[in-house]
Amino acid sequence: MKDLSIAERLGMVNYRNQGKTKARAHIEVETDMCNSTCPHKCTTYVCPANCYTLDDLGKVHFQFEDCIECGTCMFACDQGAVTWRYPHPEEGRGVTWNFG
Amino acid sequence: MDDRFDCIIVGGGVAGLSAALTLARGGAKFLLIERGEFSGAKNVSGGVLWGNQLNDLVPNYWEEEDAGFERFIAHRRLTFMDEGSSFSIDFKSDHFKQTPYTGVVVLRARFDAWLASKVQEAIEEGPHADESFIATDILVEELVKDDSGKVVGIRAGDEVFNSDCVILAEGVNNLLTRQVGLQSEYVGADYVATGVKEVIRFDRKVLEDRFQLDGLSGMSNEFIGYATQGVEGGGFLYTNRDSISLGLVLGLAELRKSGKKPYDILNEFKKHPAIKDIIKGGEVAEYSAHVVSTGDMRVMPKEIYADGVMVAGEAANLLLNSGKAIQGMDYAMASGVIAAQTALNAKERKDHSAASLKSYRDELEKSYVMKDLRAFQGAVHFLHNEAMFTRVPALVCDFGREFFTIKNQATPKVSQMLRGAIKRNSSYMELIKLGLKGGRSL
Repeated sequence: MKDLSIAERLGMVNYRNQGKTKARAHIEVETDMCNSTCPHKCTTYVCPANCYTLDDLGKVHFQFEDCIECGTCMFACDQGAVTWRYPHPEEGRGVTWNFG
Repeated sequence: MDDRFDCIIVGGGVAGLSAALTLARGGAKFLLIERGEFSGAKNVSGGVLWGNQLNDLVPNYWEEEDAGFERFIAHRRLTFMDEGSSFSIDFKSDHFKQTPYTGVVVLRARFDAWLASKVQEAIEEGPHADESFIATDILVEELVKDDSGKVVGIRAGDEVFNSDCVILAEGVNNLLTRQVGLQSEYVGADYVATGVKEVIRFDRKVLEDRFQLDGLSGMSNEFIGYATQGVEGGGFLYTNRDSISLGLVLGLAELRKSGKKPYDILNEFKKHPAIKDIIKGGEVAEYSAHVVSTGDMRVMPKEIYADGVMVAGEAANLLLNSGKAIQGMDYAMASGVIAAQTALNAKERKDHSAASLKSYRDELEKSYVMKDLRAFQGAVHFLHNEAMFTRVPALVCDFGREFFTIKNQATPKVSQMLRGAIKRNSSYMELIKLGLKGGRSL
């Protein structure tokens, strides 16, 4: 079986409220903290949905749209930069698993 | 009509639904709130529901044509891996075919929805057919307390629902449990893991032939060693009706140290010769991930009850990997039932204070859940030992390679092979230490 990229994997996820142009973010990340004092920037590799990315300058960026609500970043960030909530059923994003 | 509920359950997973079934049959008026589109919509597990308690909740469930489970476990395998080899302990027995089954593979979007249908039936047959509800697509944002600090209901958006008590069955990402102060606001990565998983679909006949399945019999296979690329944890493969669940559980603190991405480790795992050949021709149907507790009791909430509230299932970090099996959904079921029974007793006594709800803790302590959790803490720590997911699997595979390789030359005795494998991968000292620890804890 050929390797699947993370984009291909997330392409199979059934996200909620995809028709909505502007969904309400359920996770807030103070990336200023990631980009100044954090010694590991671990969310950029532990996140199973690649929601945290590094740009060419090594700066952390976050987007909630691909989040699959696993909770990893809430436990992994020991710097206090991640405020984690559940997505709002109508106005937020988040998943509906087909299999789970 | 009094719009106050006897109990509100937050979360429609295994713990919440088991509590709801118990409340419905006990004649209580309750509200179960699930934030997903349906029960199971947000839930991920490996997953095997171990033990036979499901039969207590839904008697003879296997007789139903469309029962919510995928397959019953009739074949178990534990595989040690190094980079190119695998060495398995394999156990298959007809005694597993006797009902009630002692383990069923589930896919949560299907299983939880099915269990929710059983709750709905129980509501309709009970005294509160029009007053108890399963409400989906509602997010509980806050528990409501009275002046004395007792939990008296929940708030969702602008709406408040009142109840005599609340059962929190919100899962491992237990925001409300933290909000009421039963668990610290921040829980670190040390005692949790991240699970990643793919559901891989096959033609049913291919699946049944490949895994030697008979009817709805199924297999569970756990992997230790190269599967996780040196990160603490293990792999799993479970057979569903026409797919397999294949994934990894990776200790989060270790994953953070490794700098590796969980889905990259999953890609490597899928390329291992032991996996590559058995997933050939399959088609990935879903990729999912979720945090999971590891069974270390140090991550449990300070207490699992307070005035007007109880915490059940993985919200209370009730999960155990003892080396024999990863048990979580059965603990969710057991704790959900005990919490609901406590709520029924509290209703009778008209007392939902912490002193009254303490019997939830007492009964849970008397049950196998807390007995096992306490008895196998040593095993949890033993399995955290780095040698267990690096040097030991390597040693086992090294020995296997020697033992099963026939060369046309003078063959060393088994004891010599073993000595060589130990020296190359570990040491006598380390094995003696591990043997003593393992002997005591497993």
